Amino acid sequence: MKEAQSHSEAKRFGMVIDLDKCTGCGACMVACMSENNVPFREDESDKLLSTAWMRVFKMTNGKPFPETDICYIPRPCMHCEGHHGHSPCVSVCPATATDYDNLTGIVSQIYTRCFGCRYCMAACPYHARVFNWWDPVWPEGMERSLNPDVSVRMRGVVEKCSFCFHRYQAAMEKAHYEGEKEIEEDAYQTACTQACPAGAISFGDLNNPEHKVHQLVKPDLRHGGRPKNPEAFRLLERLGTNPKVYYLSRREWVRRAGDNYLKNEKTGGGHA
Amino acid sequence: MKIGRRCFLSFVIGGAAGTALTPLPWKLTDDLSIWSQNWPWTPVPEKGERSYSDTVCTLCRGGCGISVRKVDRRAVKIEGVKGHPVNDGGVCILGLSGLQLLYGPNRIKTPLKRKGKRGQGRWEAISWEDALAEIAEKLKGIREENKAHTVGCILGKRYGVTAALFERWMKAYGSANLMVEPSVEDSLEMALEAMHGVKASVGFDMENANYILSFGSGFIEGWGSPVRAFKANSIWKDNGVKTIQVEPRLSNTAAKADQWVPVKAGTESALAMGMAHVIIKESLYNPAFVDNYTSGFHGWKQRVLKDYTPEKIAEITGLDASVIKKLAREFAGASHPLAICGRGQGDTPVALNEAMAVHALNALVGNINQPGGVWAVPKPSYSDWPEVELDEIAETGLQRERIDGAGSAKFPMAASLLNRFAAAVAADGEALQALFISGANPVYSLQGAKVFQAALDKIPLVVSFSSYMDETAMQADLILPNHVYLERYEDVPVTAGLTAPMIGLARPVVWPLYDTRHTGDVIISLAREIGGPVAAAFSWDSFEACLEETLDDKWEVLNEQGFWTDTGFEPPAWKDAFETASGKFEFGSEAMDLSPGYSALTAEGDRGTYPLVLIPYDSMRLANGYISDPPFVVKTVEETVLLGKSVLIEINPKTAKEFGLAEGKSAKLTTPQGEARVKVHLYEGIMPGVIALPRGLGHTAKDRFMAGKGVNFNELIGPVEDASSGLDVAWGIRANLAKA
Amino acid sequence: MSKPDDQPTDIKTKRPEGPIILFFLVGFAASLVLGWGIFPKLLYSQKQQPVEFSHALHNLETDGCESCHYFREDGTFAGIPKLERCMECHEEPMGESDAEAKFIEEYVYPQREVPWLVYSRQPPCVYFPHAAHVISAKMDCATCHGGIGESDHLKVYEENRITGYSRDIWGKNMIGLKKNTADRMKMDDCSECHVREHVHQGSVQTGKGGCFVCHK
Repeated sequence: MKEAQSHSEAKRFGMVIDLDKCTGCGACMVACMSENNVPFREDESDKLLSTAWMRVFKMTNGKPFPETDICYIPRPCMHCEGHHGHSPCVSVCPATATDYDNLTGIVSQIYTRCFGCRYCMAACPYHARVFNWWDPVWPEGMERSLNPDVSVRMRGVVEKCSFCFHRYQAAMEKAHYEGEKEIEEDAYQTACTQACPAGAISFGDLNNPEHKVHQLVKPDLRHGGRPKNPEAFRLLERLGTNPKVYYLSRREWVRRAGDNYLKNEKTGGGHA
Repeated sequence: MKIGRRCFLSFVIGGAAGTALTPLPWKLTDDLSIWSQNWPWTPVPEKGERSYSDTVCTLCRGGCGISVRKVDRRAVKIEGVKGHPVNDGGVCILGLSGLQLLYGPNRIKTPLKRKGKRGQGRWEAISWEDALAEIAEKLKGIREENKAHTVGCILGKRYGVTAALFERWMKAYGSANLMVEPSVEDSLEMALEAMHGVKASVGFDMENANYILSFGSGFIEGWGSPVRAFKANSIWKDNGVKTIQVEPRLSNTAAKADQWVPVKAGTESALAMGMAHVIIKESLYNPAFVDNYTSGFHGWKQRVLKDYTPEKIAEITGLDASVIKKLAREFAGASHPLAICGRGQGDTPVALNEAMAVHALNALVGNINQPGGVWAVPKPSYSDWPEVELDEIAETGLQRERIDGAGSAKFPMAASLLNRFAAAVAADGEALQALFISGANPVYSLQGAKVFQAALDKIPLVVSFSSYMDETAMQADLILPNHVYLERYEDVPVTAGLTAPMIGLARPVVWPLYDTRHTGDVIISLAREIGGPVAAAFSWDSFEACLEETLDDKWEVLNEQGFWTDTGFEPPAWKDAFETASGKFEFGSEAMDLSPGYSALTAEGDRGTYPLVLIPYDSMRLANGYISDPPFVVKTVEETVLLGKSVLIEINPKTAKEFGLAEGKSAKLTTPQGEARVKVHLYEGIMPGVIALPRGLGHTAKDRFMAGKGVNFNELIGPVEDASSGLDVAWGIRANLAKA
Repeated sequence: MSKPDDQPTDIKTKRPEGPIILFFLVGFAASLVLGWGIFPKLLYSQKQQPVEFSHALHNLETDGCESCHYFREDGTFAGIPKLERCMECHEEPMGESDAEAKFIEEYVYPQREVPWLVYSRQPPCVYFPHAAHVISAKMDCATCHGGIGESDHLKVYEENRITGYSRDIWGKNMIGLKKNTADRMKMDDCSECHVREHVHQGSVQTGKGGCFVCHK
């Protein structure tokens, strides 16, 4: 059920990533790891076991030399809304460890409730969730740089990108202190958005027409949040997950790679 | 009464019934469930007061302003400083992981003295007093033998007060053998000096150009000041600026570019000359500049028209002649075209005539010192120190020729030729008795790494100032660890292609964690211990005092905002810009026999044994200098680059098929310099016949997250000396790749 | 001794034998005593604060609660003051009490933080913003913390041996019944008020508050 606060409409925090500006440098990955106490191991080459909340993938247009082209695509958690807040992962969690919040659109993961059944990992079509197979080990001295605003996880729990909601908490705390009811666009930005050296990532309230993310993609709420901007697209749009991460690209092949299109299908078609 | 089983059972049932009516089971369940969530082996970082400490990142040449978030006294996150002229809030992947360098277990915590043989990694802790006394003793002895010139220094950075202190110390001591790690900046500055007659940094006004022609420069791989380059790229995307990338491999920069022009490896400057030919022939050059402010154009023009026809260039580069012509016309037709060179991140110099060829292209279109063009940017000025008083020993020592030949008659413009150092020492075993290495890891990062190692073996005293146990520190006799950048004051002059003089101020964010000392302080102490005129040259009490005095009127603004820049800087107008003999821009220097051109610097090795060409590639995710990847950054390296402990070599699928190689399979890579086991990765984005390996892997020292993974490219390639500059300009080497 | 077959025997009716009921009652009573009396005593260890501290005295001598328990500029709450704050007055003894002397000797001189036992300490998964409650919701400190602000000594810290948290979290009452709002401070207690005051009730799973508003 939706309950609007008396002073504001519900927000939908989302992200827009410009794939033409994205350099594939990986700064977003490390900003996220550093901000969110993400563990690291000696051998991280098996990416199925490697813990990363934000992961940068590399796509290629499949053409031979010299027509080859590549594109990097950063993939955080999509914070899917589905229909009325029924994200795939939220719908299947037996422990109520993950929840969809109607007032901000954030899909939260609370580690103390999770008992590691990994049903949510099976449900997520974006492979955005990772499981802690082992206890994280911080080499001697490195636990000093852990961020106290984010829980440190033990083995046996699933974790995923949180849209840095601890920063939302901090921004709200400051707003309460200053007697404000609302937070500004730049008061709550995720670590990856803040760090991106190319300025490819934007974050904000998709419902707020003054926010950059809204202006970049113009989400159509009557069609499941589909972007009106023809250069924008979402991954696996036609699954109906209603994700909150939008991508921009001037390149048709990149937009085409966002979903499993048949050869004759046009990009951007289909319903949510 | 029969007391039996039933009584016992009823007792138990009574107990159970009673217990159910007490809070015990419910409380116990609740408490146990909480207990199960207490994970004592999982650290709980303590909350505390949040504060921000601003400083400058020194992990590369970029000079980004960073803000370190602290909780009480612990540093927990690095963020960018919004509004900073270099990075405006952005931070690169390496900068973000800096806390792992500060708090990591790879830190050297006290001065160390070698036990056992070099390279065994056995050390004993030694006090600062003992370490300095030992070194001073040896150095005094060398002076007494009147052999002051047998002391050498290798630094990572050329500029800054610490480097200046080293220079002063060496001068007062009596040795000119101060060498610096090379980079493409050396080539660019030499070209500028040859053509403008001016010693200055080379700046590129990337943000205001509207046509970018890059000869292999990896703006997206970390060239210049990386974050600034990324932001420039984003500006280009927003404004529809056309970008051309010329290189044999589809790097990230090439993928970002509007057009990728794949040329045969090493032939980038041939294309530059071919384009010059078309521009000259079709009179597309800027007459206002060329006719009035240049000299030597006619002589050069004849050579270009004769030797660099599009057909000839087409053959050399593998491009179509029509492509060359089209590029030339587009470049000259743009209102603000800009040509840039320096392969990959720009860690290796380019041949002087290549740098001059690209600079000549810029001159032809008249963008010298213009908006959107190449600028001569003066180095930031510092207040002068008093002259060093030299004694006889120092005078004698300073008169000897430098061990690397820089500044000699053969290489008059070179300030440092570290690539020639190893061969010189190897040839003359007595050449050096002591070597000091600070802020550099040449055992790992110099091309021809093995030759450097052999040279070190001939030097009786090697002292490292490294904060981390890297390959060079492993070969040292004494280690005097420096504070990590987050623990110290440092001035950070930024020359990496910026368009205004800029100095950043690195400030301590945390108190030094261990028993380390600022290298600047150590130099001052060492000078004092040596005594005599060496000590007399160092009147400052500490590095900090020296820094404040030297930065003079800039100190206040540096402390306020973390950087000083000449905001109103404009490059000199054409009539004032050139200080050559002719007073004009010179298209070549007859005096020094220099000319923009292309000389086929073929990769070492014969085609028969080595049918392929191996080139390195740079990646933002693989730091390859003094600083190597901390664990967070290693984590981001793709599984198509590093798999377990093996590095994957990129090869075109057509070539792979010819050689019988399949994806993921092991192969043996051989070059005239060395060999390695690698795995194969098929990549359509690389020219057939060319194979590529990333730089930054193959560490043998450092922590377990980095050591033993992959192969050190620098061990597979040897230095190739550029005849005119003396710099090592090897861009690749011939190789063979066979199924293993 | 055998009975003749034709003689009526004194057959006892089939009802529970005395000792069985007795044993039942004994077990019942014993478990009640154990559960209500002994268990609480065993479960909680009584700990003393490292330094005897009087809020009442310090209220008189300072500018009130905010002198030590204040909001920082970024809106976060300073919580329990660090040694630095105490030292602003107590670098040298200010009075003649033994408690102060001990404090100065054991903590001020060696510059050691006092390991206060915090009654209101919540598990690390909890995020509690004082600003939202004290400033926006205008709640009184005593609503959650009880009367500690006026006390002249710090009460005994009863630590739950199993969980490690203070008895103040579950409550003095063993079955969790509370007379005042400050008696208990578990999730349901916070939620009670949040539901009543419509604080961020946006959860799809529960219809109540979004998890991440209070958890991290």
